Amino acid sequence: MSATQILSTLLASEVRGDLLILFHKNPGLIDTIDGVARRIGRTAASIGSDVIELVNLGVLKQRKIGSSEVIFLDRRRDREVLESVASHFRTAKQGGEN
Amino acid sequence: MTAPGFKIENPRFEQFLSRGTREGVRVKTGIVELDEMLRGGFMEGDSVLLAGSAGSGKTTLALQYLVNGITQFGEPGVYVTFEELPDQIYRDARNLGWDLRSLEEANKFKLVCTSPNLLLESGAENILDEVIKELPAKRIAIDSLSHLGMYVEENQLRQEAYRLVRHLKTRELSSLLLWEVHQTGGSSFTVAEVGLSFLVDCIVLLKFVEIESSIKKALVIMKMRGSDHDKRLREYEITSHGVNVSAPFTHYEGIMTGAPRRSITEETANSWALAFGKNKQKHS
Repeated sequence: MSATQILSTLLASEVRGDLLILFHKNPGLIDTIDGVARRIGRTAASIGSDVIELVNLGVLKQRKIGSSEVIFLDRRRDREVLESVASHFRTAKQGGEN
Repeated sequence: MTAPGFKIENPRFEQFLSRGTREGVRVKTGIVELDEMLRGGFMEGDSVLLAGSAGSGKTTLALQYLVNGITQFGEPGVYVTFEELPDQIYRDARNLGWDLRSLEEANKFKLVCTSPNLLLESGAENILDEVIKELPAKRIAIDSLSHLGMYVEENQLRQEAYRLVRHLKTRELSSLLLWEVHQTGGSSFTVAEVGLSFLVDCIVLLKFVEIESSIKKALVIMKMRGSDHDKRLREYEITSHGVNVSAPFTHYEGIMTGAPRRSITEETANSWALAFGKNKQKHS
């Protein structure tokens, strides 16, 4: 996936922005979709599709604990994604300057 | 491993057999006065209940225990919080001079934020084990057992707390379990009421006390299995560098009852005797 595609996935909705801010502020957060939704003042139904997109991107991971499905930040993948986006910005800036 | 007529020479097997906490080894908090009270520190692998009311400094003391463990003794640690806004922990720690994010980046510390019901459902295994192994952690703080109590009945809380304590012990972790005491005054101490005191090896109580119309903070070690400890109440303060334990309340008694009074020292007794004698002379 190109950096442009990653960026458009990350910035596709306000919910995704809220989720990314929450997990970046609290990288050790492990909670159910319902629990995560409550922490950003939303409902599980309203964040479900955005969670799936971030899981597909690899930024979030999903795991079954007991009878609950939990989500958490994949720190390594998150760092890779951030580096890829930063590199994209650097290249774009250099292109603009030239 | 040797026994009469029996010998196994296998390093991995030896390593397996040598697992477990080392006898007599102390886990220092890094707070010199507190370590003195503990006769050198907590016992390695022990579960310590850190009880206190809101604002008494439980979180600060627990973070200081973990940060000192990393920076002074090379022991990585995990902080588990059930609080709603754990990013406040990063901020508050920074104000005390502890950069938790840097410690996380250096893979020496992890802050795990989750719901108590998930910890109960997983039996702590799935949710914490990965983090514990990754560091690998030697110390852990759970903030707090009181939150677990919100999800289970009182008699179940004992069972769940026991399961958690045993789980941490089998992982050879020295743990601090935080417990919120609701009463800010008087002698009430709810740990005994819910029956947690016998599950843990050590109990440290943080308490507000009223001395001469001022609120002061007092720390006391109520129990320490298998070790002598300081039985006196000591005053402590939360400074810009964390918890600072100072002198015992030597001139007061009855502090735990919530109605402290000045204790009669030899000096005051002599002063009274002198005054009484002068008064007697005057009237004779």
